[in-house]
Amino acid sequence: MSAQSKPLLAADRVRLYLTLVPYLLEHGQVSLAEAAEEFGVTPEEMRSMVEKLTVIGLPGDSGYWQQPQEMFDINWDLLDEDDVIEITNDVALRRVPRFTAREAAALLAGLQMVAAVPAVSDSGLIAGLISKLSRGAADAPAEVVVAPTAVDDVRQVVARGVQEGVAVSFTYQAPDAAPMTRTVDPVQILITNAQWYLQGWCHMRQAMRTFHLDRVSDPRLTDIPIEHGDDSVPEAFAAAANDGEVSVQLPLRLAPLLGSFLSAADMRTVDGLVHARLHLADPRGIKRIAAKLGGGLEVVEPAIARTATREWAAAGLALYHQPDPSVRTVD
Amino acid sequence: MMAARIPAEERLTNLVVALMATEIGLTKQQILDNVSGYRQRADAGTRTDALEKMFERDKDELRTLGVPIETIGDPSDPNDLREARYRIPQAEYDLPADIEFSPAELAVLRLAGSVWSAESVSADAQSGVRKIRALGIDGDEPIIGFAPRITARDPGFAPLQEAIEKSRVVEFDYLKPGEDAPRRRRIRPLALVDYEARWHVFGVDVDIDAERMFLLSRVAGEVAVTGEGFDPELREGAGDRALAGLDRVAASNSALLEVTPGTEAALRLGRRATAAPQGIHVPFVDLHILADELASYGPEVRVVEPEPLRRAVIERLSAVLEAHRDPEEAR
Repeated sequence: MSAQSKPLLAADRVRLYLTLVPYLLEHGQVSLAEAAEEFGVTPEEMRSMVEKLTVIGLPGDSGYWQQPQEMFDINWDLLDEDDVIEITNDVALRRVPRFTAREAAALLAGLQMVAAVPAVSDSGLIAGLISKLSRGAADAPAEVVVAPTAVDDVRQVVARGVQEGVAVSFTYQAPDAAPMTRTVDPVQILITNAQWYLQGWCHMRQAMRTFHLDRVSDPRLTDIPIEHGDDSVPEAFAAAANDGEVSVQLPLRLAPLLGSFLSAADMRTVDGLVHARLHLADPRGIKRIAAKLGGGLEVVEPAIARTATREWAAAGLALYHQPDPSVRTVD
Repeated sequence: MMAARIPAEERLTNLVVALMATEIGLTKQQILDNVSGYRQRADAGTRTDALEKMFERDKDELRTLGVPIETIGDPSDPNDLREARYRIPQAEYDLPADIEFSPAELAVLRLAGSVWSAESVSADAQSGVRKIRALGIDGDEPIIGFAPRITARDPGFAPLQEAIEKSRVVEFDYLKPGEDAPRRRRIRPLALVDYEARWHVFGVDVDIDAERMFLLSRVAGEVAVTGEGFDPELREGAGDRALAGLDRVAASNSALLEVTPGTEAALRLGRRATAAPQGIHVPFVDLHILADELASYGPEVRVVEPEPLRRAVIERLSAVLEAHRDPEEAR
């Protein structure tokens, strides 16, 4: 819940007040910094909102101004001198409001997503939470369903490595490479686009690496305590310094399919055609991405990548007795 | 005296406080005369009809924030709202007191609230978690080592969610692969479904009066939310029906494939395959999506059947080959 840079809209501020008041009443005295962190605003923003709380109150009566006890009030000295918030008079908003339909929907979908995480599924808390959130919503949330994914042995073993803080050893087979044994201090399991990745310190490479769990087999828990658990995880699919660069072009409508491969800094769009530079450990690896986009993406440079792509497609077609007619073959 | 400019959030929050503090309700006139934010405008000579419009907008705004505003009309003529009274029933506003969350549950919810990468949905999830923390619950140690992520990049997601919440018919152009032009669809949307990392909307196709699933990535242009409503009862159990439907489709569609052992195709497809006398069987729900994936494997996989899938893969590989011919190459 880090401080956000976007200015708050009036509705955001109202929503914030409705939860801030019961939060402050529950907690008594709260430092400005802590409240700001909790509500995702800057300390200055929080100070201003708390100061303005004191102009909120019960309606006046037929032209009379409100009495002081009919308004919210705070301990001004404490705020000014110690940066601590304390409500000294409250007139309403004492209870935490129900969840909005959107809040409930966002959390309900999130729960379905995390249900696959072994640390969560072991807890057996999901069903109860789903029922509490549904019952606590002000209006029926739109149903947002996340289809469950299978958690196989590889995922279970690697997850145990993360939870128990020991290195895992496994056979790893990257595309177009021979299988290797890798031993990794697991730091985090990233689950995105329905794929599971292990991020951790590779004993052989002596560096943080990301491993696709579909390419992992025969995982074993070691008894080696992890030594790099506190290292920050790498940007998931960030380019490495010695990665090759591949120039491609594709129609703008297909660009989202490249997802994390595409960074705004490395693309320009001319007449609906995106020209982009992608970073891959082996430039020839672009053949798989190009083939997935079925001819929509054209590999421009380097020649080695373009040739690899052409040959990849030709070799695939050859399985169907439709060899590239421009290439003479001897059967 | 010039009326001081009262910010919208101050007027809205004062309105909530006023409507909460009244048992019998306040009339519109009482609100405009007495609630801070309206009162000053009325004093400054703002016309009554302009203030009434502002009040109507404010009520809508608060309802989207989950604040229940009850309208108590004339019992002898419920449609006559001239003397209507407004109030916020505390029992409908408060998070029910019997809903409690344990520290372990809060830890699970915090993880669930962290999965959204879309900014607006993420803000909703965080706001929901904040309400629970405002109850005074401090969570267990956060669940670390797992980073599940949900993305919702499709522009149709937000309008569809709104349409489901309000039970409103939507219209959009839908482009099926293999068809030349998109076709206009009218749908009663019932649920959003994330299946294999792709968002779908499940709903009733109005023209054929049958439940269907639509891929959001195939929606061309904008999703229009119409003024036409439908019975919210239709939404009951829609998510379960959608998932059951997908399972039925997957069970009845199976591809027979030959894969080269030890390759990326063998690893990735093997996870969801069953062995067959010739190669492997892989279930699928969408022929075109599977064809994209199979094309990416190039010569690592050969489609034996079904024939339309075989043709789709050949078509893709041929297009890739065509896009990567070099000019000097003989045709």
